[in-house]
Amino acid sequence: MSKVVDRSRDLGPFIPHNDDELIICRCEEITKGEIRKAVRDGMYNLTEIKRYLRTGMGLCQGQTCSRFVRSIVAKELGLSPVELDLTSARSPARPIEMQTYSNEVW
Amino acid sequence: MKRYELIVIGAGPAGLSAAIEAASWGMKVIVFDENALPGGQLFKQIHKFFGSKKHHAKIRGFRIGETLLKEAEESGVEVRLKATVMGIFANKEITVMNGDHIEHFKGDNIIVATGASENMITFPGWTMPGVIGAGAAQTLMNLHGIKPGNKVLMVGSGNVGLVVSFQLQQAGCKVVAIIDASPKIGGYGVHAAKVARTGIPFYLSHTIVRTAGEDCVSGAIIAEVDSHWQVIEGTQKELEVDTICLAVGLSPMSQLARLTGCDMFDAVEKGGLVPRCNEYGETSIPGLFCAGDVAGIEEASSAMIQGRISGLAVAKRSGYILANEFLMRFVSFQESLSQLRGGMFGIEKKGCVVTQTDEGLPLSRTLLQKGYIAEAEIELFSGSKKCKAKGVHPVIECTQNIPCNPCQDACRQGCIIVGDQITSLPIVTDTEKCSGCGMCIISCPGQAIFLVDDDYTEDSSAISFPYEFLPLPKAGDMGMALDRSGQEICPAEIVKVRTGKGMDETAIVTMKVPSEFANKSRFCAIYTES
Amino acid sequence: MRIKEHPILHAFAKGVSVPFFLDGKILEGCEGEPIAAALRAVGVMTHRHTSRFDQPRGIFCAIGRCTDCVMVVDGKPNVRTCITPLSAGMKIQTQYGVSAKEV
Repeated sequence: MSKVVDRSRDLGPFIPHNDDELIICRCEEITKGEIRKAVRDGMYNLTEIKRYLRTGMGLCQGQTCSRFVRSIVAKELGLSPVELDLTSARSPARPIEMQTYSNEVW
Repeated sequence: MKRYELIVIGAGPAGLSAAIEAASWGMKVIVFDENALPGGQLFKQIHKFFGSKKHHAKIRGFRIGETLLKEAEESGVEVRLKATVMGIFANKEITVMNGDHIEHFKGDNIIVATGASENMITFPGWTMPGVIGAGAAQTLMNLHGIKPGNKVLMVGSGNVGLVVSFQLQQAGCKVVAIIDASPKIGGYGVHAAKVARTGIPFYLSHTIVRTAGEDCVSGAIIAEVDSHWQVIEGTQKELEVDTICLAVGLSPMSQLARLTGCDMFDAVEKGGLVPRCNEYGETSIPGLFCAGDVAGIEEASSAMIQGRISGLAVAKRSGYILANEFLMRFVSFQESLSQLRGGMFGIEKKGCVVTQTDEGLPLSRTLLQKGYIAEAEIELFSGSKKCKAKGVHPVIECTQNIPCNPCQDACRQGCIIVGDQITSLPIVTDTEKCSGCGMCIISCPGQAIFLVDDDYTEDSSAISFPYEFLPLPKAGDMGMALDRSGQEICPAEIVKVRTGKGMDETAIVTMKVPSEFANKSRFCAIYTES
Repeated sequence: MRIKEHPILHAFAKGVSVPFFLDGKILEGCEGEPIAAALRAVGVMTHRHTSRFDQPRGIFCAIGRCTDCVMVVDGKPNVRTCITPLSAGMKIQTQYGVSAKEV
């Protein structure tokens, strides 16, 4: 279960790492450094990170990167990845064109 | 809206088994799968499965898939392909994408059997064309007949990495190396040994630092890591490869299960976030079940039994089975499942350091560190003991407790015994009776059985071993015998090659080597054709 | 890159050979096989260039999950080539961002 993170806690200054340019979200091309910075900008859970950076909001909907994002954010916050709730699972579960999605047959 | 007594999501081993079981009790069942072909990942598995007869042991994965499909058809299961389930809503209603429209279905019961997705690792260049998942390699070569690349680096030494490496070699690709950040090989020793003897080197405690190449992969820079997984400076080396294949584990594909709102939990031993299920696979929502990898990463063989159990439980829930009938069948499925979960790689042993076998023998360290067993180590195991004064006898290089016993059933002379506990190591008993038929060689899913004839001629021995590559050698061909690490050790002459319909594409090659190399020679490289 | 003979699977059941176009160039593939397989068979590695960093991408998962192999197929962008069957005369274009390069 998600741990409540104290938002007034000082995480200290952003210290650049030499792998900050590594691409984490392949679809939206979001780097590790951007995710780490976002945490310091006040994005303390995965939903906030997602809305702030668009990680996991591209075509694949986070198939590959959601694990990585979770562990990077957890590390920045000094948590274990399992202490961070995943973003909500929602339909549609796969990429679909709006035209198809709205064409419902009962 | 169409209504079914059972909706199964996923036509892989778990989903199909669940559907077959429920339909066999008279239920009206429909299975949806997003793929164009049913069977999940089974049709990409061209190796023989482990287990016992009731687990379809020694049968190749794709043939198990064919059997399942036939059973599904015979039991009246409706299978809808290219039908992607988009969502699960309240009261077990689902939406399915079918071509250009969305259809609604309602199930009295739903079994989610969506399987797993591949884990990946990040490194500079990991998005470059030429870096692929191990599943992608299997899909391209085993389903579509396309080589994923010519020179491949395999990242990951678990069973997937080992099996796919072997399959890449079978497809005609060269596997340049298998690396793993762990200091120990993760998969079965027999899988490691069968790739090691073809000459593929293992680099353990190694990681990939970055790719080389501009537009696509032209190489991989690897380096040794210390016990904290940090790269040790100065150990970098470049391997010339055009493909980097990632086989670094699987995660349950639980998105659909999650959006039902059932209780979920994170479990390292299950590979990630999974629904909380009871022993029948039923989640916190009555009538909603999960079976197979979506409920925790295991093997296809256990997924099939889990599917059966969930299908059976659904039939009971809907009033198709009497309680005592249910119980008898459930207990037998459970026994079968616990057999597969036994042994040193079983789910209960995950994370434990195992140093000796159930029999109290020390595990081979070279097998864990280099992928092959040292000659001095193999002599401790009773499967390799020479128990015959003269002539041909089996040598079984199976040294870890894994759930597998087809060798016992294969020997009509009764020379090989595994016993009731299918994870026990095979024992070669009375080899005076060994006729050299080679059925044990063919039956071993780990390709760990050899026939050795120390008295082939006065100063030469004959070694028979399984061979699943092309071109197939012919009697009279000359080559070099390879030892367990794939090193050339002595000249060898191919004296016999056995193939046949009942042999399921495994050839038995017999080579003649000087007697002093009999205990070392386990494979061959052919140079001159006769 | 096609496997001619396989020790376990022998020959592969493939559709007839059909022509298709990649960025205007004529190529051959087997009807019904995934576009991505046909491209890999003739040695094409790059399917698209990304919009932000203009980096090349190709096949990654090969089962329609990762969406890295998307291309412009018969004028339609973001088509997952690993799960879209090839048909005769298909016009396939390398995707740049979300569209093909203007010719």
